[in-house]
Amino acid sequence: MTAANVPFLEARKLEKRWKGPIPALVNLLFTLAIFYATWWIFQDPRGYMRLYTPYVGYNYTRWILIVLIWVAYIFDFWPFKRGWMEKAHPVTKGIVLTLLSTGVLLLLIKGFFEGLLGNFAMAYFNPAQLTKLPGVTAFFAEEYAATACLMFAAIASWLSPAWIVAMEAAPWQDLKQPARGLSIWIVTFFLSTLVYFMTMHSHMGILYYPWQYFTAITPPYWEQFADTVSGNFHIAWIMCCTVVVWLVETIWERYPFSAIKNPWTRRLSLFFAIIAISLALNFFLYYAQELAWGEAIRGSRRDAAPDWRWLHVGETAIFFLVPALFLYIYCDNWPKKFSTPVNMLVRTAITVLGGLAIYALYYRYAHLFLGTQKGFSHPQQFPMIPMIWLINIWLINTWFMDNWPGWKLTMKTDAELAAEHAARAAEQTWSPRMVPGMAVGAVAGVALYFLVVWALPVVSNAVNLIPK
Amino acid sequence: MSDNKTPFTRRDFIKGAALGLGLGAIGAMGLYSYSPMSRKHISQVQRKLADFGVCRGVKCKVISETSWFDNGTLMGDIKAAGGLLVDQYTYNWPPFGDGTGLGKGSYDKGIAKIKHLLPHRLEEAWELTKGLSVHPDNAGGFAALVEVEDMDGKVHKYLLDSGWSYKWMDEAFKREGIDKMLANGEIEALIISHEHFDHYWGLPVTLKYAPNIKMYIPDTFYPSGLQYIADSGHKGEVIKVKKGLRPILPGMATYVFDVPIICKVFGEQSLYFNVADLGLVSVTGCCHQGIILFADTAYKELKYENDKFHGLYGGLHISPFDDWDPKYDDLVIGLKKWELEKVGCNHCTGLVTAKKFIDNGYPVVRGTARFRTKDTAYLGNGDSIQFKKA
Ligand SMILES: [Fe+2]
Ligand SMILES: [Fe+2]
Repeated sequence: MTAANVPFLEARKLEKRWKGPIPALVNLLFTLAIFYATWWIFQDPRGYMRLYTPYVGYNYTRWILIVLIWVAYIFDFWPFKRGWMEKAHPVTKGIVLTLLSTGVLLLLIKGFFEGLLGNFAMAYFNPAQLTKLPGVTAFFAEEYAATACLMFAAIASWLSPAWIVAMEAAPWQDLKQPARGLSIWIVTFFLSTLVYFMTMHSHMGILYYPWQYFTAITPPYWEQFADTVSGNFHIAWIMCCTVVVWLVETIWERYPFSAIKNPWTRRLSLFFAIIAISLALNFFLYYAQELAWGEAIRGSRRDAAPDWRWLHVGETAIFFLVPALFLYIYCDNWPKKFSTPVNMLVRTAITVLGGLAIYALYYRYAHLFLGTQKGFSHPQQFPMIPMIWLINIWLINTWFMDNWPGWKLTMKTDAELAAEHAARAAEQTWSPRMVPGMAVGAVAGVALYFLVVWALPVVSNAVNLIPK
Repeated sequence: MSDNKTPFTRRDFIKGAALGLGLGAIGAMGLYSYSPMSRKHISQVQRKLADFGVCRGVKCKVISETSWFDNGTLMGDIKAAGGLLVDQYTYNWPPFGDGTGLGKGSYDKGIAKIKHLLPHRLEEAWELTKGLSVHPDNAGGFAALVEVEDMDGKVHKYLLDSGWSYKWMDEAFKREGIDKMLANGEIEALIISHEHFDHYWGLPVTLKYAPNIKMYIPDTFYPSGLQYIADSGHKGEVIKVKKGLRPILPGMATYVFDVPIICKVFGEQSLYFNVADLGLVSVTGCCHQGIILFADTAYKELKYENDKFHGLYGGLHISPFDDWDPKYDDLVIGLKKWELEKVGCNHCTGLVTAKKFIDNGYPVVRGTARFRTKDTAYLGNGDSIQFKKA
């Protein structure tokens, strides 16, 4: 194992410039400043470009996330040379790579979705084609096209990183770039397309009344189960997948799956475990809303509607991704001093508490800064937009800029990489002697679940997040 | 490394327990949360069955339901100004145009141009604002005359909303004789459903004829909206209705919902009637809270005849811009179980929705499509609907 043949992000060693929490605080301030400035320029309904229409800005926000994943995770910064990645100033790198990502983003949305698919495949990807439908205004044509495009993004934001995190880039892990990146890119794009057709096409097809019955399967197959015809039902579990992929990759260190010795068993079990964990999270977050606000009523609007509740599942999941990424990116994945499962548990607890805190802060104060309105259920407001916008900035800061200004980049030596690998292999193990503890833990886990089920209605009655 | 020769340790136990805790919690989340068993933890709401009296009947006259005349123009303005979250007072729509163009206006700059002409010199005010505003001829407005017959047979008149364009609304008032009713003091109060331009900005047209009229507004107005009442020359009582039920007459109450709405408006006030021998009747401006939530709130809070949701009139804010979303199909499907007996809808209900209602067998009262109302699926301008046991 040499630094030259592991991905750049893995070969990197980031060193704090100052002791203690100062680098984390400096970077938090730096990224929040960028967040607010760019929010004002691009998104804010009072600001300059006002992309938060809402769907246009939503679409760009989500696709930026995916392009960043492509650049850093799938293509490993190809076509940029490793030497440049190591030597160039973080700010230069940040600007160049962000510009590249923006170019890819525009090519993809304007060229691929609007231009190619929208003109030669499905009209709903192209605003100009949509306005040919009687009654559809230019505004909603653009919103619909953005909706379709961003639903595709939701799927890609799960599958693209999952191929690296769970599938370990297999079977192309030994190819050179760009062959490796292209192979993974094509396969994940293909899978995303399949999932898109089976989960979102019926949602979009419903636009064409009464022709919907011929262009798509409507009402869709999930209608009875999800209590809605809306594709938000799928957005819910797919957003959970997006979040769980990153929990697995960061605060959970791919454990316990990393302990499985057979590569394909390990890869496939993790790939499907991500889906299983996401479904569990999905159903729980839906249930949590029922416990807090009562059962959903089909056909109602806003916070009582099943389609909004499913969407809110995804929104809530994203609130939890924010503290997990902060812990990983800026707190060196603290703590590291216990055994892996205990570290995971502590980090998960921090993430849960942090997510709850961000959720509460968002609904209490965000409308004062973001140009939005207070309240949970504005049909045109999506907390995922500011959350993912912030996550995008953090990812640019850590992937493209090596955590500048709080950290500086050095590269691991081959010996360091080997030692790290050995330490991980020694630590991340499985032994049948863990079974008694696991049994006790599982009982405690179930008990914890029922404690939360009991507490949710009580807490929701006692706390009102929305200011008077 | 895991070899089975070393003895069982506390460390193994803790590692296992930490992993097990996650597994147990995630397992329970996945297996229990969406299962039939999970239902028993959800609190069932006790119906409050509050008695707000009963009336003999209610009649709604459509003064104007055409809030704007061309969707494309309206949505073009909204698109150019930055979308559905932008503050309505900044659009530079009449009467608050200041000549600076879409998305650059403000209440203060707009009202300064016309304040001296309110409420009596409205033709001049409209002429002035036309030159300063974006697409002034696209403005119409929503207003309805609500006539409530009490159990003694006496009729009480209320105005629900005051539209948008001074010119269009004044013509509509004259067409339906509202101007005289206001001037004679026949109308007991003006009830404003919400702060949206198409329901509220025509306020001076009502005040031109009845500056002392009592007003009911939701208590969620912005400072600009409140200032407009004074700037329009209102001299009467303003009742700011808090979230929840506000009885007006036996069998008539308003209900305020604190919902965030497009164009940065907050809160909507809708009307409930309890009509003798028929049941609940709802009358709404835009119904941004959603008609099923409105019905469900009545079900949880109120007592009404036959325990039956009989009928409704008004805008239902489903597809106001001829837009469509799958969740609107949920509404068309979900409203069925209330078994409504009389539906009069228009304005922001959306023509697609009204047609889907008709296709799905809802008892939609058809209109006459006069005075620029676009389709007979709507109860149109000059039409009326009555809810009263024959
Ligand atoms: Fe309206
Ligand atoms: Fe409205």
